[in-house]
Amino acid sequence: MATAPNSEEALAPSELLRSPSLPLLLTAAALAIGLAALLPLVQSSSATFINGNIQRLEQEKGDWQARLREIELEVAGLSSLNRIEQEARDRLGMVPPEEIRYITVPGPAPEAWRPPSRFLPAPTEQQESGSSLWDKAFGWVPLP
Amino acid sequence: MVERRRSGRWRLWAVAAAISLATLILVARLAQLQLVDHEQYDAQARLTQVSQETLSSRRGALLDRNGYPLAASEDTYNVMVERRAWDDPAAASRAATAISAVTAVPPEEMLAIVSETDVFEVPVALSLNYEQATQVRELGLNGVRLLQGSRRVYPEGNIAAQLLGFVGRDNVGLTGLEADIEQILGGAKGSVTYERDGLGNQIALGDRQEVPAQPGADVVLTIDRYIQRLAERELEKAIEEHGATGGSIIVVQVKTGEILAMASRPAFNLTQLDLSDETKLALFRNRAITDQYEPGSVFKLVTAGAALDLGLVGPETLWYDTGVVNISEWSIFNWDYSANGYQTVTDILSKSLNTGAAWLAEQLGPDRFYEYVARFGFGETSGIGLSGEVTGQVRTPENDPANWRPVDMATNSFGQGITATPLQMAMALATIANDGLAMQPHIVREVISATGHQVIEPEPLGQVLSPETAHILQQMMGVVVDRIPTYLLDVQGYRVGGKTGTASIVTANGGYKDEAYISSFAGIAPLEDPVLAILVKLDEPKGVPWGTVVAAPAFGNIMQAVLAYMKVPPQEPALVSDTQ
Repeated sequence: MATAPNSEEALAPSELLRSPSLPLLLTAAALAIGLAALLPLVQSSSATFINGNIQRLEQEKGDWQARLREIELEVAGLSSLNRIEQEARDRLGMVPPEEIRYITVPGPAPEAWRPPSRFLPAPTEQQESGSSLWDKAFGWVPLP
Repeated sequence: MVERRRSGRWRLWAVAAAISLATLILVARLAQLQLVDHEQYDAQARLTQVSQETLSSRRGALLDRNGYPLAASEDTYNVMVERRAWDDPAAASRAATAISAVTAVPPEEMLAIVSETDVFEVPVALSLNYEQATQVRELGLNGVRLLQGSRRVYPEGNIAAQLLGFVGRDNVGLTGLEADIEQILGGAKGSVTYERDGLGNQIALGDRQEVPAQPGADVVLTIDRYIQRLAERELEKAIEEHGATGGSIIVVQVKTGEILAMASRPAFNLTQLDLSDETKLALFRNRAITDQYEPGSVFKLVTAGAALDLGLVGPETLWYDTGVVNISEWSIFNWDYSANGYQTVTDILSKSLNTGAAWLAEQLGPDRFYEYVARFGFGETSGIGLSGEVTGQVRTPENDPANWRPVDMATNSFGQGITATPLQMAMALATIANDGLAMQPHIVREVISATGHQVIEPEPLGQVLSPETAHILQQMMGVVVDRIPTYLLDVQGYRVGGKTGTASIVTANGGYKDEAYISSFAGIAPLEDPVLAILVKLDEPKGVPWGTVVAAPAFGNIMQAVLAYMKVPPQEPALVSDTQ
C-alpha cells in the first residue's frame, strides 16, 4: 500500500524559497532586529532623561540649601545683640539705665507713713486675751 | 616566455614585500601609540575629555554657648566664563552687559578678563550673593556658569576677634580658633571627575566619579556673647578712662573651668580685616594667653593659700611688720613704705603688705613655695587648646640653680620676678573660688557634626588647696573687698572677694620701666558659693596706677551685670528694711 509523502520532507529548497511564509518570517525577523536595536536607544534616552532630571533636582536641592543657610544667617543677624540694641534705641527710644546707687543705712527704718487719726476708723473695744476664768486658772499650763 | 614569467613574479614579490613592510610599519606605529606611549596619550586624552573639579566643603560655624553664631559661612558664587564661548565680540558684549546689570562689574572689565586669559575658564565676577546668583542663572547664557564658594560672616559683629581669628581666601583658618580647630571646622573637600563634550559641558551618560565633600562641624564655644560683649565694652571704657595702652579681661565659670569671656585690647576689627599693613600683625595675637606679665600683689593669694594650707599660719596669726625685710644685700619694702607693727595674715592681703608676703614665703621655704606655685598651674601652659599660649617664667632653685637667689622667692611671693599669663592668673583665682579644686580651662563646649554631638565635659585637674583653706582664703578676700570704698567697688546684693594688684613692668634688659605699671583686680562672687571669677588687667594706666582705682570699678560693673544675667540670686538681705 502506497503512502503519501510528508509535505515538508517533500519540499525542495527552491520550493521553500517560494513558500508564502518566508516574507512573513523575514519581516518578523527584521522587526525583531529593529526592536532589539531600538531597545538600547530607548534605554539610553530614558537614562539621559532621568540623569538630567537628577542633576536638575540636585541643583534645586543645592539652591534650597543655600537659601536656607542664607535665611539662617539673616535670623542670626536679626537676633544679634548689636541689632537688638540698635532697634531699642532707634525704634523704641530706649536709653541705657542711669546708675542708681542704693546705700544701706545702719539703724531702724523710718516709721511707715500713717494717715492722720481723724481719717482712721474709730478703735473698737477688744476683749483682752486671757481674761477669762479658764485662762486665769490654767494660763500657766503650756498648751499647744 | 619563462623569462617574462620570472620577471612578473619578482615584481609581484616586490609589491607584496612593500605592502608587508608598510603593514609592519603601521603595526609598529600602532603598537608604539597603543602600547609604548599609551599612558602619555591617555593622559592627553583625559586632559581634553575629562574635567575635574574640587567640591568645597561648607565650613562649620563658631557658636556661643547659647547657640548664637559668632562666625558662620555664607554661600557665595563666582561667575565663570568659558573663553571660547565669548569668541564672538557681539555675543560676548551682550552677555557681559547682561551680567553687569546684576553684578555691577563693568562689561569692559569682564571682556578684558576673558580676552586676556589663555585658560579654559575664568571668573569675571566674584562673591555674588544668592539673589544675584539666581538672577545670573536665569539669564541662561551659553558658556557662563556659577561656581559656589563661601565667605565668613560675623552676625554679632566685631566681638572676640583675637579668640575667633579669621580665615584666608582659601577658606582655611589663619589665626585664632579658626586655625586651631581647622580640622574640625574645615571638613574635607570633595571632588568630581566627569567626561565633557567639545564645549566643556558634562556628557550626560559619560563616566562620572564623585567624592562628596564632608561639611565641617559646628563648634559651640563656652563664650557667652552677652558676657563677652560686656567685658569688651568695660575694658574699652576703662582703657579710655585711665589712658591705658591695653588690657585683658577674663571671666571664668569656676565650677566647670569654662571661659565665659576672654577680651583683650588692642585688637583688630574682624569685620573690616586689613592684612595689608604688617605693622598691625601684633593685633592678631590673643594677649590673654600669649602675653606674660608680672602679676604683682594678686599673687599674694597664692602665697597666703600655700601657708594656710600647710597650717603654718591662720587668718588671725600675728606678725610684726617693721616695714622692711632684708635678704642678703637686698631690702624689701611695702608699696607705701609703711611700717605697720603687729598685723594679721588677713591684713597682709587687705593692706597688700609686701613684707608680709615675704615673711609668709620664708615660713614656707623654697621647696614648698614653688610646689604650690606649680600646683596652681604657673610655669606651664594651661592646656586650653589655643595656639600661642606661653608658660610664663618661674625660676626655681631646681630649674635655674645658677641664677636663683633667696631674694627671688621673696619678690615672687608678692608677684614680682615671676611671670604669668592673664589666663593662668584667672585660673588660679578660679581654683580658690572652686574650694581649691583646679579645673581644666576650656573654650570648646560641644562639637556638632553630621555624625553626632561630642560634648566636652568639665575636667578636674586636682585639689590644690583643701576646701577648708580655700574657704578661709575666700573670706579673707571678702575682707579685702570690704576695705575698698564702695564708690570704687560695690556689687549690690552680693558679697564679693578679691585682691588688687599693681605691678612694675619688666623691660627687655631685665629692669623695670619707670613710672609704668600693670593694674589688676582679681575677684570672685558670690562669696557664699562662688560662681564666677573675673580678672581685670590694665596695662600702663596714666595717673593713679592702683588696681583698686583702675581695675576694680570695671570688675564691679561686670560682676554686677553677669550675676544678674546668670540669675544668681542675691545673697544679702533686702537693701531697704521693711517698714513697720
